[in-house]
Amino acid sequence: MRAGDYSHDHFGKTVIRIQVAIACSLLLMLPAANFFYPTDYALKAGIHGISAILAVVVGTYLTHRAIPLVKGMRVRLESLRHWVAAATLINLAGAVSGNWIYMRYRGQDGPRDWILERVPNFHNVLMEFKEFASLFPFPLMLSAAFMLYYYGASLQFRHDIGRFVGVTILVSWSFLLLGFVAGLILAKLRFV
Amino acid sequence: MQEDTDPQKLYSGPLVAASLSLLLAFLTLMVSHHISRLTRELDNIVHAYGHWIPGSTGSGPDGSIGSYSGKETLALGVWLSSWLIFHFLWRRQELSVRAWTRIFVIGLLAITLGFFHPLSDPVVLFIAGLFGIA
Repeated sequence: MRAGDYSHDHFGKTVIRIQVAIACSLLLMLPAANFFYPTDYALKAGIHGISAILAVVVGTYLTHRAIPLVKGMRVRLESLRHWVAAATLINLAGAVSGNWIYMRYRGQDGPRDWILERVPNFHNVLMEFKEFASLFPFPLMLSAAFMLYYYGASLQFRHDIGRFVGVTILVSWSFLLLGFVAGLILAKLRFV
Repeated sequence: MQEDTDPQKLYSGPLVAASLSLLLAFLTLMVSHHISRLTRELDNIVHAYGHWIPGSTGSGPDGSIGSYSGKETLALGVWLSSWLIFHFLWRRQELSVRAWTRIFVIGLLAITLGFFHPLSDPVVLFIAGLFGIA
């Protein structure tokens, strides 16, 4: 097998696509169920959950597209920058909807009050960290998208620049994961 | 966007501008966050920058994001203005991407730890003490 050669036959691709489709639909049902929860904030919770899961899924996929960039291999630039641009928009949706649901989190008798009364460190340490770490992925993705569009096809002449874009995507994903897991823990602890 | 120049001649300046402005924005978030936690008055000052954001004020069950809105506004302002300034300063500037990659990642890591209160609070209180606040 030659290094950097990535090829699947037709059957292999079909299996992978079906697997991804099933996994994504099942995963999205997790936050989509929020829409039916018995709370006045079901819409906000559902929208934030769906945009957060989508951001994690797309961000995770992008880590695989970032590795060839880091290694200085040739990449399919057109497709890559469309994906990064899409990830930027999804992350913006995640941040905006996060702000929206955060209002209720801080509201009277909301999750914050409940947590502070019983397990204060989940708010004082975890949430205080999460509210900021979750703001990082959107601007990081935007800067990666900017670099991909700005330098364009000439990226292939500059491995150092390609590597930096790859690192930016990987870093963005790690903040996504930190924010996502912290968000899950808090939502599980006390739902809005 | 570089059609008018030789495609082989690339400058790393815009890359450093785009990512340095991010570090400055995250740093702004961190500093304004710690400042807002010191006293009620400081919190109000930070909060005032965010009043334009819907849901930045108010109480009751629906709540509000409070001074978080001001921290976001300050960070947005620093991010976009410093990006613009550095971009035009360094459009034709070659900077070492190798060195910058290292500084960028270490800087991000340091700022991230700054949001972890058990680590950052002693430092913040020490600095605030020097200024005689809190």
